[in-house]
Amino acid sequence: MRFSVPLALAAVLFASTTSFAVAAPPTSLDVTAKSVDFFSDRFVVTADGDVSVRLSDGTVIRGQTFTMDLKLNRYLVAGDVHLDGPTVHEVGAAFAGYPDLDRSYFLPASGSPSRVTYFGLDWAHPDPKREQPGDAYYFPDLTGERAYIKADGARIVPRTNILFDMARVYTAGVYVPSPRYVVTFSANSHYFENAFAGARGDVGVPFNGSAHSLTALHLRNDAINGTYLAFDQHFVWDQDWVVLGVDPLTQEQRQYNLIGYKRWSPKFESRLFTQVSAAQAGIINAATNAAGFAQLQLSAGLKGSNLTLTQDNYYQYLLGLPYGLTDLNTARSDFDPRWKEHPTDGSLAFTGGQTALTHGANPLYLRPRFGVGYAHDVWGEGGFDNEQPGPPTLWYRYAGGSVYTPPIRLGAALSLSGSYDRQRTWFSLPHQLDNGDLRFTLAGQRERQHLRYYVAYEVKTIDDYWGAQQLAAYNPAANVVTTAFGTYSGQAAFRGLATSRGYTSSLVYTPTQFFEFAITGSRFYDTPAPVPGVYGQPPWQVTGDLRVRLSRQVLLDLTRQYYFNFANERWTPQFGIQFSP
Amino acid sequence: MIRSLAAILVCAALAAYALPSLAQGALVRFTGQLLDVRNGYVYFTTGDAFKLGPAPRFADYDTGNPTTLQPRAKLFARAILDPATKQVVELDLTTHRLAQDAAYASTAATYSATAPTVERAPEIVGVPATGKEVAVAFVVTVPPTTPLNANVYISTDASGWNPQAIKMDRIDGQRYRAVRRFASGTKFAFRVTRGTWNSVELGSDGLQPGPHEYYTKEVDAQEARTTVFAWSDDRGNTPQAAQPGAIPTPYNPNPFPGGVFPPSHATPPGGFPTPRPPAFPNRPPR
Repeated sequence: MRFSVPLALAAVLFASTTSFAVAAPPTSLDVTAKSVDFFSDRFVVTADGDVSVRLSDGTVIRGQTFTMDLKLNRYLVAGDVHLDGPTVHEVGAAFAGYPDLDRSYFLPASGSPSRVTYFGLDWAHPDPKREQPGDAYYFPDLTGERAYIKADGARIVPRTNILFDMARVYTAGVYVPSPRYVVTFSANSHYFENAFAGARGDVGVPFNGSAHSLTALHLRNDAINGTYLAFDQHFVWDQDWVVLGVDPLTQEQRQYNLIGYKRWSPKFESRLFTQVSAAQAGIINAATNAAGFAQLQLSAGLKGSNLTLTQDNYYQYLLGLPYGLTDLNTARSDFDPRWKEHPTDGSLAFTGGQTALTHGANPLYLRPRFGVGYAHDVWGEGGFDNEQPGPPTLWYRYAGGSVYTPPIRLGAALSLSGSYDRQRTWFSLPHQLDNGDLRFTLAGQRERQHLRYYVAYEVKTIDDYWGAQQLAAYNPAANVVTTAFGTYSGQAAFRGLATSRGYTSSLVYTPTQFFEFAITGSRFYDTPAPVPGVYGQPPWQVTGDLRVRLSRQVLLDLTRQYYFNFANERWTPQFGIQFSP
Repeated sequence: MIRSLAAILVCAALAAYALPSLAQGALVRFTGQLLDVRNGYVYFTTGDAFKLGPAPRFADYDTGNPTTLQPRAKLFARAILDPATKQVVELDLTTHRLAQDAAYASTAATYSATAPTVERAPEIVGVPATGKEVAVAFVVTVPPTTPLNANVYISTDASGWNPQAIKMDRIDGQRYRAVRRFASGTKFAFRVTRGTWNSVELGSDGLQPGPHEYYTKEVDAQEARTTVFAWSDDRGNTPQAAQPGAIPTPYNPNPFPGGVFPPSHATPPGGFPTPRPPAFPNRPPR
């Protein structure tokens, strides 16, 4: 009697878990057949010849052919279908699975024909009278499609990925064999969070994956390391994710990155970025030098606004004293002040939401922002990285905001918009920095000519105020600077107040869905005048962008920029072939 | 004369009796894709099963001659059905795709041997899509602090979440636009980026939003509007001068050669060397 309540509770729990188990759709499908093909343009998998599909509950469906639309998340087994499981043994003409609806549809071949509906993985209670989707047993039309991957088998995790066994991947006209290959088609973008630094080229070979993980090897090339291998491991949940990357994997100078995101509640999230840079010969040899960096960011969503706390920590020489040093207090020529301490910095930032200052047809909006922060030893122990002494800890606070209008219609084809962004930052050093950005944009369109265009005028200012120390901070420098690109004068007049005025104009021509041409030109008037190789932007810039759709999935994007010989730069070509839906 | 007419009528009646199709009307012909032939029935992808006659004829669809093809899943066929017996007397098989039979529902489906479903399934919802091409304009409103020359892209799950999948063009002070054509019924998820996953849209509360769901409706033209409230690499507008490795001011890398502040006690004789090799950038990848 005394155990009746616990027993009843246990029975309820058991019954609830059992019913949950049978009602849930399959979490994976293991497909084997004489041939398994994947059509990447259509996100369709087909299998033919002695097809066997094992569902996650152990139920096996055998048939002549299998097809699954990975995006629509539905599959079909047809021809001499045998449905076998712990509680079911049926023969039929076709079996269609709809995991999203938590339903399976079956055409039994015993007795008179009927349409049978199964609920979840409950095979014991078929319903022969329930309505079924009109196209439940349709095959996708793959006329003219070429298989991107051929394989002997596949493991499909619905709505996530597909892992091919003994895959042959279509590459440059031939099928290249790969023991395993994973295609991720998830609507969750976090499988593609990147833990690598930028590179000129990157070919990824994802070779392992599950409902919450993805493992890939990358062949990469960049200007510093040349061609090398890299590795990354992803763990992904609904909103949370973690990615570990080793890049390069085969070069001595190596980075280990661990990045993560956690959504603690609908209004609170955290991000973590950790990095160890190591000098490590070979692949598994001990590192001879290492440094670390960690950034933690906590962010709270308020009503239309945001509060974010960011903390950065830098760890120099994780492996101890470098270069065989034993005493950091003994001065030597190659001394680095960061050997002794690790820099830190942090900030607390409030970003306001859009607030209407005026109402009506042409409202004026404000987005304010405030923040405080500090930086400790960021330039070494008590100094700047330009070899000048400075305070060990720098505090700052800032306030700013943007005032702007939405595009105001000026007739049928023209609109005008304006924005002004201003921020003042007060430093403990002491000085204050003012950033300003005023912008007006006149935009228009000519639908008949398929043209859209705009002209923008922008004034940016960066003013560094030191009060009585202004001339000390910005003391007269040499008036003439000679760089590899020439000799430039006028530097002596600079006193810490910089202005950039610029005109930007753009024209977009889209005559058909297959062709688009955009040209953008800019002219900047900067004070101080730019010095190639030292600072500043090219006064004249023109960018042309041509996009031609070569096929339904392939878009050729050609971008070239012209800098009018600034820093000996003329044409800067960028060619790219993009794949888009 | 009357006798001859009577004889003809009797012959016609006998023929009609012997040929049910003449008595009941013409044979019914319809086309479709096969699922299986099993247990005396032929199953089509419509889910309908039709009783096979006692000795059905299998012929080539194009020539009408006997064929070596065996009826199996994925093959296309023209079925010839006798309305009197509701049995399929001939299947003309082909591997070529046959157009969907528009009159199928009104002609053949009525002879299906499959038991009808009478129970409503409320979970089955949706609007039929014809797959016609629809011009879709994506319009993205960006924060006012977005640089004029910033590149903005749409990244989709259909393109493997390539952060530069669809490049957009700035059309005025706050908006970018791109036009694509999709078949009606096309459905995908997308997010707005500035070219990398380190620079992606944030929601109105400054937190990471979920992807937008897009669906092409059965219309002539469609517009998909999205607002980006902030970019993930523009959070908090932290002052440039306080960043590690940055210079005290953007334009003055060497502000105190005379020494506004006293020299640090850590300053060694001979000054500071280049502190760390350039290949060790202690910064997040951009």
